[in-house]
Amino acid sequence: MALAATLLHNAYFCGRCCRYKALQPFLGPLLSDPVSKAYSSYRRPGSQPEKKSTWQNVDLSFKKSIEVLKTQLSMLKEETKDHLIGPGGQSLSHYLLEQTRVVWEFRSQEDLNKWIISSDVEIGGKSEVYLKLGRNNQAAMLYGTLNTEVPRDGETKYSGYCSMRAKPLVGSFARKKYYDWSNFNCLYLRVRGDGRPWMVNIYTDPYFSHQKDDLYNYFMFTRGGPYWEEIKIPFSKFFLSSRGRVQDDQHPVWLDKISTLGFTIGDKVNGPFQLEIDFIGLLNDRAHTEEFAYETYEKNPPL
Amino acid sequence: MNPYAKLILTLSLLLGTTITISSNHWMMAWTGLEINTLAIIPLISKSHHPRAIEAAIKYFLVQATASALILFSSMTNAWFTGQWDITQLTNPPSCLLLTTAIAIKLGLTPFHFWFPEVLQGSSLITAMLLSTMMKLPPTTILFLTSHSLNPTLLTIMAITSVALGGWMGLNQTQTRKVLAFSSISHLGWMTIIIIYNPKLTLLAFYLYILITSSIFLTMNTTKTLKLPTLLTSWTKAPMLNTTLMLTLLSLAGLPPLTGFLPKWLIIQELIKQEMTTTAMIISMLSLLGLFFYLRLAYCSTITLPPNPSNKMKQWLTKKPTNTPISILTSLSISLLPLSPMILTIT
Repeated sequence: MALAATLLHNAYFCGRCCRYKALQPFLGPLLSDPVSKAYSSYRRPGSQPEKKSTWQNVDLSFKKSIEVLKTQLSMLKEETKDHLIGPGGQSLSHYLLEQTRVVWEFRSQEDLNKWIISSDVEIGGKSEVYLKLGRNNQAAMLYGTLNTEVPRDGETKYSGYCSMRAKPLVGSFARKKYYDWSNFNCLYLRVRGDGRPWMVNIYTDPYFSHQKDDLYNYFMFTRGGPYWEEIKIPFSKFFLSSRGRVQDDQHPVWLDKISTLGFTIGDKVNGPFQLEIDFIGLLNDRAHTEEFAYETYEKNPPL
Repeated sequence: MNPYAKLILTLSLLLGTTITISSNHWMMAWTGLEINTLAIIPLISKSHHPRAIEAAIKYFLVQATASALILFSSMTNAWFTGQWDITQLTNPPSCLLLTTAIAIKLGLTPFHFWFPEVLQGSSLITAMLLSTMMKLPPTTILFLTSHSLNPTLLTIMAITSVALGGWMGLNQTQTRKVLAFSSISHLGWMTIIIIYNPKLTLLAFYLYILITSSIFLTMNTTKTLKLPTLLTSWTKAPMLNTTLMLTLLSLAGLPPLTGFLPKWLIIQELIKQEMTTTAMIISMLSLLGLFFYLRLAYCSTITLPPNPSNKMKQWLTKKPTNTPISILTSLSISLLPLSPMILTIT
């Protein structure tokens, strides 16, 4: 026990002085240096170098904390008022009779700030993606260049994707909130694309981390013409995937706890892309009676 | 599910419940609780939907924690008093710990957060089992140890359960979550009277099981998982929807339906114990619950929707109305005139 403690103590100082000793990989997690990673100091080509730790960014100003508390309490007051009115802040009759709802529309920079764009730059790729307001502030334009060149880091095999994802809803005191789309059965988008296929992703934010990569996907094929098109995607068509792999055991998406919606382009074609989105809404199509588009078969049927 | 597996799980549920109910030793009570927990897990996760798996994991973690606390409380008591009898829990820290553990098991506030999520992830029949049968062992332990429990903590948990059950259930659009919050609210009513008249708790519990089972079975027949589906469920079974409205009002505690009986007796007992303020508070807080029961009744029976159902075959139900539903519904609605007889039994 004392020997182990002495070894660790020496290893800590050795680790601080010289990073390249052979003992370093074995004692990596035991060293308490905040800058070093657990097992290696390799940084992926696209990722930003670590600057300050999270705790070093905390601003302990009393005045600011009062302001934050006031903001959060006013948000809580609004939530309580909405709770008294009815589901989703609307009266019950409104909720029951609702057939359409616009969830996101792009008319100002504030609307754009509700979305995050990302591309394969984070894994060392060379695609570019930008988001701006379209002409007359009537739509959002997601544009950029797709580049399928694989980063030369020895472990990445594929590259070339760009995506736009909605930020999750946040309630008062940084609590997670979710969308309740259970009253609807179709996703309704007014878009003008360039003919390239997109993938629409729905994330339901599971509670446990082993399901954090679960995503419900479906495709959106754009026409590319000068005319706007209104695409209707039933929720029954979305299939379950995890880390990009379509799962054998398929389930329909449960719409009572939706976290985010996203669009991804990854059609393996190098070149520019452009997608204009007017609004993203929901539709309760009374004529759509399909519950789930995919049949599931027993994987090991009894003989 | 494989019928043999289903049989083993069902028998395990019955075994676990029986072991806990009939036990005198804390170890046997704990064993029964654990058997119950393990047996219900495959039933919750039967559909293998990610949300069902999530519900099963949440249920397991919560129940395992509560069982461990029960065991720890009994071990502490055995350390100080030298015996393991369930009815002889005398060490004050053990009593406090057991109160907390039972609250976690049952889903009393502030340990109620898991219950709506677990019910939402399960099928309607499993949700019914979770609300009724799985509450029987912890309620029995509550009954057996009622004289040892911490009264202040219990009263606070009971009042907050009624309050939070009513408040959180106000805007729910999913029927399983509504019934989960209804369960939390009813647990508050059961818990508030356990110190003074434990038999009233059992009466309230049995009547709650009766009414809730009929509601769950009715919703299972019409496959109602959310409020808009409830609007158009009258097309499948009109009479069943009418009786659903009456059953919901019975659960709300409106006279002259069955559900009025436990509430009336509990209020009477609280007033006898000079807890008039408490009785008034929980009665007023129950109005929140009445609001959402009325909302469910409004959706199911009182209004006609302007739209037809989305289902292809509106009149065809997989399970036609069967005998258990008719018996349970009849009892849920019309048992109040038999209250003198019920009072003599309890």
